Amino acid sequence: MPIEIPKDKWPGSIKKVTLGATSAEGGTRAKSVTVGGETTLPYLHFEAPTPNKPVIAIEIKSHRPDDWSPLLGEVWGDAMNDPAQWAKKAEEAGADIIVLALTLADSPEDAVRIVKSVLAATGLPLIVWGPGQAEKDNDLLVPIAEATKGEKLMLGICEDKNYRTIVATAMANGHVIQARTPMDVNLAKQLNILITDMGLPADRIMMDPTTGALGYGIEYGYSVMERLRLAALQGDSMTQLPMIVTPGFEAWKAKESKVGDGVPEAWGDWKFRAIHWETLTAVALVESGADIIVLRHPESVKRVKETIEELIAV
Amino acid sequence: MQHTVSFTHEEKQSSVSVPTGTMLSDAAHLAGVEIGQPCGGQGRCGRCAVLVTDGNVRRRSTLRLSPADVEQGYALACQTVVEGDVLINVPPQEKIERRLTTDRVVAEVTIPADYDFDQHQSIHRVYLELTPPTMEDQTDDWARLQTALRTQANIPEVTCSLHFLQTLGKTLRDGEWQVTLVVDRDMEFPEKPVRLIEVFPGRVDDYSPLWGCAIDIGTTTVSLWLVDLVSGHVRAQVAEYNGQIARGEDVISRIIYSGKAGGEQEMRQLVLDTINELVETACKRVNAKPEDVMKATISGNSTMMHLLLGIPAGSIRLSPFITAVNHPPVMLAKEVGINIHHGGAVDCLPGVASYVGADITAGVLSSGLEHAEHVSLFIDVGTNGEMVLGNRDWLVTCACSAGPAFEGAGVVNGMRATQGAIEEVWINGETFEPTYRVIGGGKPKGICGSGLISLLAEAFLTGVIDKAGNVNLMAGNSRVREGAHGGEYVLAWGAESESGEDIVLTRVDIDNLLRAKAAIYAGFSILADTVGVPLEMADRVLVGGSFGKYINVEKAVQIGLLPDMEWSRFEFLGNTSVKGAYAALLDWRMRDRITEIAKRMTYIELSADNSFYDAFTSALFLPHTDMNKFPSVAAALER
Amino acid sequence: MALSGIQIYKLLPQTNCKECGFPTCLAFAMKLAAKQVELGSCPYVSDASKKQLAESAAPPIRLITLKAGSEVKAGNEVVMFRHEKTFYNKPGLFVRVKASDPELAAKVAKADAYKVNYVGMDFTIDGFAVEADGGDFVRAVKAVRDTTKRPLILIADDAPLLDSALSLLAGESALIYAAESSSYEPLADLAKKHKSALVLKADSFDAFADLTQKVQAKGVEDMVLDLGGKNLGEWLTRSTQARRLAIKANQRAVGYPTIFFAGQNGPEKEAVYAAQAIAKYAGFVVLDTFTPELAYALLVLRENIYTDPQKPIQVQPGIYEINSPNADSPVLVTTNFSITYFSVANEVEGSGLPAWLVVTDAEGMSVLTAWAAGKFDAERIAKAIKGFDVASKVNKKRIVLPGHVAVLSGELEEELAGWEIRVGPREAVDIPAFMKQALN
Ligand code: SF4
Ligand code: FES
Repeated sequence: MPIEIPKDKWPGSIKKVTLGATSAEGGTRAKSVTVGGETTLPYLHFEAPTPNKPVIAIEIKSHRPDDWSPLLGEVWGDAMNDPAQWAKKAEEAGADIIVLALTLADSPEDAVRIVKSVLAATGLPLIVWGPGQAEKDNDLLVPIAEATKGEKLMLGICEDKNYRTIVATAMANGHVIQARTPMDVNLAKQLNILITDMGLPADRIMMDPTTGALGYGIEYGYSVMERLRLAALQGDSMTQLPMIVTPGFEAWKAKESKVGDGVPEAWGDWKFRAIHWETLTAVALVESGADIIVLRHPESVKRVKETIEELIAV
Repeated sequence: MQHTVSFTHEEKQSSVSVPTGTMLSDAAHLAGVEIGQPCGGQGRCGRCAVLVTDGNVRRRSTLRLSPADVEQGYALACQTVVEGDVLINVPPQEKIERRLTTDRVVAEVTIPADYDFDQHQSIHRVYLELTPPTMEDQTDDWARLQTALRTQANIPEVTCSLHFLQTLGKTLRDGEWQVTLVVDRDMEFPEKPVRLIEVFPGRVDDYSPLWGCAIDIGTTTVSLWLVDLVSGHVRAQVAEYNGQIARGEDVISRIIYSGKAGGEQEMRQLVLDTINELVETACKRVNAKPEDVMKATISGNSTMMHLLLGIPAGSIRLSPFITAVNHPPVMLAKEVGINIHHGGAVDCLPGVASYVGADITAGVLSSGLEHAEHVSLFIDVGTNGEMVLGNRDWLVTCACSAGPAFEGAGVVNGMRATQGAIEEVWINGETFEPTYRVIGGGKPKGICGSGLISLLAEAFLTGVIDKAGNVNLMAGNSRVREGAHGGEYVLAWGAESESGEDIVLTRVDIDNLLRAKAAIYAGFSILADTVGVPLEMADRVLVGGSFGKYINVEKAVQIGLLPDMEWSRFEFLGNTSVKGAYAALLDWRMRDRITEIAKRMTYIELSADNSFYDAFTSALFLPHTDMNKFPSVAAALER
Repeated sequence: MALSGIQIYKLLPQTNCKECGFPTCLAFAMKLAAKQVELGSCPYVSDASKKQLAESAAPPIRLITLKAGSEVKAGNEVVMFRHEKTFYNKPGLFVRVKASDPELAAKVAKADAYKVNYVGMDFTIDGFAVEADGGDFVRAVKAVRDTTKRPLILIADDAPLLDSALSLLAGESALIYAAESSSYEPLADLAKKHKSALVLKADSFDAFADLTQKVQAKGVEDMVLDLGGKNLGEWLTRSTQARRLAIKANQRAVGYPTIFFAGQNGPEKEAVYAAQAIAKYAGFVVLDTFTPELAYALLVLRENIYTDPQKPIQVQPGIYEINSPNADSPVLVTTNFSITYFSVANEVEGSGLPAWLVVTDAEGMSVLTAWAAGKFDAERIAKAIKGFDVASKVNKKRIVLPGHVAVLSGELEEELAGWEIRVGPREAVDIPAFMKQALN
């Protein structure tokens, strides 16, 4: 009995976004990374190929964080004291992109210096996050954007309450924007509208729809991403942007990964559990359409990369 | 421990002795000093502020006071308890300004073309000529009357009140055995006993008026139409603020207030006072007396109905949101407490659910939705937004809480549409300089609902705010600035305003307005979704509610309150609730139809799943997250 | 495909005769769409409409129930994406053991006893798969059955052997693995005889459609498909295609749940393979490795993916730490509606000020809605403060209420003797300023 397999043909597609600029492109990166461009749902090769495979970013901080899990301290060791060193190690661990997260303690001068040192230490494209407090973010990100004009960094995190300054500086200095909204399809779309209304072209924006970790609301992020991707494919131009997600940050916040003592026995071995937690959080998001996956542990990086390879192998 | 609390209010002194921990507002009440509590004593509105000039009090909440106010000694009467002997200064209370609808509008009401007093009205006059008694004919007065009713008017069975019997003998004799009765007759079931309301001596002219009134009890405004039942003419239209406002501006606050000790009784009395005053005013206009009014037909939301009847309303606000009664039976005016003829009938129209009351069923009747061949949408914009979608085959309805922002409440410089309110605004896109129109033409005091809609639309189209409502502080214009609650826009400088202070639109106001419009838009879009009918299919959009008259369609569409359609599809109907009550007052068939409508409506509970929330957030944007739904606004933005 | 209320309405007589017990045909139709009433309540539906309605009501993917001391269900799904409605039957997690394994009973006992609590729910493994690999299969099955009461999957191709093993499982519904088109008959007979479900293997949907019909002709209705494939990409493609054929193309011939073996490339990949299977449509997932950390992660993922997305988004009630608070940090109170929680938490987090955030169970409503509905009152707040033992975390017994519920402060003072009740701002944006100015 012959069965015809239904195939979807979508009117819309995802825009391509490139991070990092090589010397030929006006920057100093060894290579740039392009994500997006999908014309169907993730990895359905019988409908269309995956034009740009999702990439892994590793998150490092401008100062050794004191609230990270000891398991992360173990693997990164002393490199955590020096962002440049840390970035190098992250590149060795398989990162395609470095995420540098600044802290409230950084002065604008320090921040610029640290960003430059990281850029010098690796040839990978760079994403820079402010410490997450509107005023401080603006204070740090503007001088960084100016000092790295042409490098095509991605600047984050841009939110609906505080987007103008970051967008304006990204526009002026040729950078890309990470637009974060709290797990809601409409809010994601609204922020994209606000940003494009300012005149930043859509191929310089990535959506960060926010996710929860496994066990901490991952299903919301998962469905929001599926819905955003579907809306984009159906032709809604304000959702046709590639997505960046932060499962490393989320998973390592969870007690399951963070701590080894005082937890139920049924949770099993701490180290393996922590890796599962980060990996499975990431894999679920890969399945729902993530384009840049920001992780923290090298072992998870390895597993998620293998997963992606296997998904795109035809 | 007892303490003496002394009040100074409008030059008068009064004091009262109360125990520790007594709320200042309660002490004031005991002392006979009235302090208005617009938010129902929830500490939300700040309008019950008083000055503590001496003594110990404890302030539970000072949310609505600035640190400077507290420093000076201000306290919220509803949030402050007595802890010693105290002296209190009560500032002059804000008088609620009257906005009475005048007879000017009476002409607009058309009497239903086929109204036939004899056929459709339940209140009738019956003229009887009784055989006077003699020594031989010793029949009692009551039996004599019954015989006459049977033989002359073909009314075999009757009931009456004690009062009727008490006056019967004298009236019969005064009229020399010729009397005119006013009776209440069930026209649908003529075999039912007829109720005798009143007896008049002699023959009353058939065409002289017989009075009835149609009443709409709104959360904010109570409207009353005095109607001559014989001709069907509306002879007087009066309106007044609902006296319950002082105990809470929205239905939830009132339900909560009514749950306090004595609250039910107080709420009931407040609205009765309002109604009775209206009856009196209306009667005066036509030189009649309240006791000449033989029937009242009442419409209003379910909470208002419960509070009027003194029925506990608590279950309305608590899941699963059940009313005590959706359709009260016809009652006597005396029982209900309405000062018309004490034997007059009070007919409360039926509602559908906790948040879809008689105001909506009556509204559907008067909007004509239930006859529509094509799908139409009926929206009642108020503190509660209610909507009905359908046609003659089906009707679905839902309600959502929009909040009072469009009525000027919950907005820093908001006010009702009275003297001094800014009602329309234009903003220059280059300079951000506004031009505005003030009701009455004087100095502005604040901004009313239509002014807020207009201001929001202008601010958005000119880029004063972005599509999410953020004030564009980067514009470098003195009209936009950082205020206490984030960005704000100065609509009128202190020099131009009545109070001498700037009139502003703050970020929080914008949020409240956005939420109100988003709730309403989400309400009707979900309604359409649920039945699977695209909104564009709605042939007509009927906008009701007393507020409905003042909306400027273009601006309302620009902010995404109303759907983007040709303006010809919109119809503004004004107060559809009182119109429906009027129709039911005149014609028992209309009353039946309302009952039928109530039964036909399918109620959709919006809180049941996430789809409402989704529609709400997508509408929480100017004009909407999905710009395709607002092509005319997109075009306006292009310009 | 499921019909909407108005679509069903169009198939009804539209006379509003009320005999169904509803005021209108539309009301009845909407109830029908929500599956809250039976079509039979309306005596006037035409035969043509009946047929159409029955078709739309039949599940596109057959419901398969495996039964022993407990039950596992798979199938009955109606959507491709969970946000479209919900995913109903969580894929059963089975652990595979080999008949020749000398430690078989011990392994089963360990996995069988495993129980883990996640937000108040207890999760366990659902069953076991016993594979004939040269050892004494029947004895192995008996040993497993003596150790666990959970449903079993029997993996073998020798029909007589399976027959004797199945005879040990009288009264149960087991799952037999697996029949191929070349040799389906004996296994189909067995499935019929023992009222078991049968896994089918084929290498194309055409072949599956043929095979399911043949097996059906043998009197077996309960079937499960092993779609095969060699890597994540292929598995994703095949399970997506199977789900689409059933749901979108209404292909009853392949409308059966699927089974997936996660251990095929070793334990390191097993977690990821099983995770994809859980997210992407598997009906049964078989693991080769059992470790608590793996089971826990997969059970939680499964729970998350199969959570009903139509319910309001809630966060766990509890006490949340923001910016590493200490005993002198303030205590803020809010509801567990996720958006409310996030707006409060984000503002506080953004301010850099440390605080304890007490999230009460307001059934997922925002502050005002919950207050209006009586789900955020003094009693509930007091219960949360006591229940989460806030007193032990701070020096100063003081809580901050959202400004919208200032009215509760009096009552709360009574409920929480010894606590200072402060009224905070109404809007989350004003919290940082409030914390800086008023809380010192
Ligand atoms: S019984 Fe049938 S025809 Fe009658 S109202 Fe119900 S659905 Fe309509
Ligand atoms: S603040 Fe006291 S009555 Fe509103």
